[in-house]
Amino acid sequence: MMSCASCGNFDLTRGTDMAIKFFGQFLAEKNIVTRDALLRAIDLQDTKNLKLGEMAVSLGYITQADIERAHNAQMSKDMKLGDLLVEMGFLTLNHLNDVITRQKNTHLYIGEALVQIGALSGDKLQQYLLEFKADQAQFVSENIELPCSTANSKIWEMTADMTFKMITRVLHLPFRPGKSALATTICTNFMMAAMDLTGDVDARYLISVSDGLQKTIAKAVLREDSVDDETSNVLEDTVMEFVNVVCGNVAAKASQMGVIMNINPPVTIHPPAAGLPVPAGHTALCFPIHIGDGEKMELILMIKS
Amino acid sequence: MKKVLIVDDSLSVARQLERIIVESGDFVCVGHAKNGAEAIKMNHSENPEIICMDMNMPGMDGLTALRTLSVMDKEVKVVMVTSLGGVGDKFTEALKLGAKNVISKPFETDDVLRILREL
Repeated sequence: MMSCASCGNFDLTRGTDMAIKFFGQFLAEKNIVTRDALLRAIDLQDTKNLKLGEMAVSLGYITQADIERAHNAQMSKDMKLGDLLVEMGFLTLNHLNDVITRQKNTHLYIGEALVQIGALSGDKLQQYLLEFKADQAQFVSENIELPCSTANSKIWEMTADMTFKMITRVLHLPFRPGKSALATTICTNFMMAAMDLTGDVDARYLISVSDGLQKTIAKAVLREDSVDDETSNVLEDTVMEFVNVVCGNVAAKASQMGVIMNINPPVTIHPPAAGLPVPAGHTALCFPIHIGDGEKMELILMIKS
Repeated sequence: MKKVLIVDDSLSVARQLERIIVESGDFVCVGHAKNGAEAIKMNHSENPEIICMDMNMPGMDGLTALRTLSVMDKEVKVVMVTSLGGVGDKFTEALKLGAKNVISKPFETDDVLRILREL
């Protein structure tokens, strides 16, 4: 991550695009390919890119009946299909690794699919891939240190990193991240906005902000010079929307990392003066965010153990 | 001017989108629905030509509403405006359900207008 040499504050230049995207979406948003072409390319991918079970059947390692038995077993066991096929004795570990390797080696990417259906030339594909990589380079994760080891630690490091990047890109705030720590109580603040994260993870994402910082966020989100006449509902809504934007982009990055993360509608919390206790069975990772001017901001990841 | 319905549980996003749409001079905002169920009702009462709709909303979410709208109204053009745009599965599902495009949050004014004008 870039930092100002004199003050250590973060100061990333705003890019042309501000969100995590995948290549097909990048092309569609820029009207480089039509929606219909993209749908035809996705259909081609669906026919060419075999799922793990389909690939294993095509290689003669297992039968369709084995897959169905494994699918039934998945209803009572929280395991990936490949691991379950091995555990049930339908597939050897060597065969599973072979299937995964073949899936990777034969995967038809969306850009290649668009070339195959004639929506893009090979040369243009290379050009747009370079533009896409340059656009998304701003979201390459930096080193974030967690205070303890936890399941999905790479996801939580990325979540903190994405939060920092969005503070710069969306809120345009210079800041300095503090050292993260474990907490048993979440420090009080003017308000918090929270979002529950589900899927392969089970956690609550919280941003706590001071009064003045809430107004700063509102100005940035509403793109207004003054928010003095706004209602408290609108001001709170802007913090929730910031959380929504961060978590949506975290979910996009997580999907690129092979982790399914579902987001839920954000909520606001007005913490008591004594702070919020961390529920039993949860680990709270706190990341102080130093803004200056006496304003207080903190990212908290409350992860179910 | 084309009539646009905004569907988002966030007041601030609705305000941003309305400003972008109205200031362009090419579109008029006919209302703001806060979830998918309201969107279906307002699509019937306001008869918009374009709907800008979030995915992640309390009550009926955007993809569920899109599924219904695609069956009920073949004319209206739906663009999803969502922080989940970068999730490949969500993007693909939206297109397959009939969305004309997907705009990721945070969005830029020029991107929104370019996509709406292309419809």
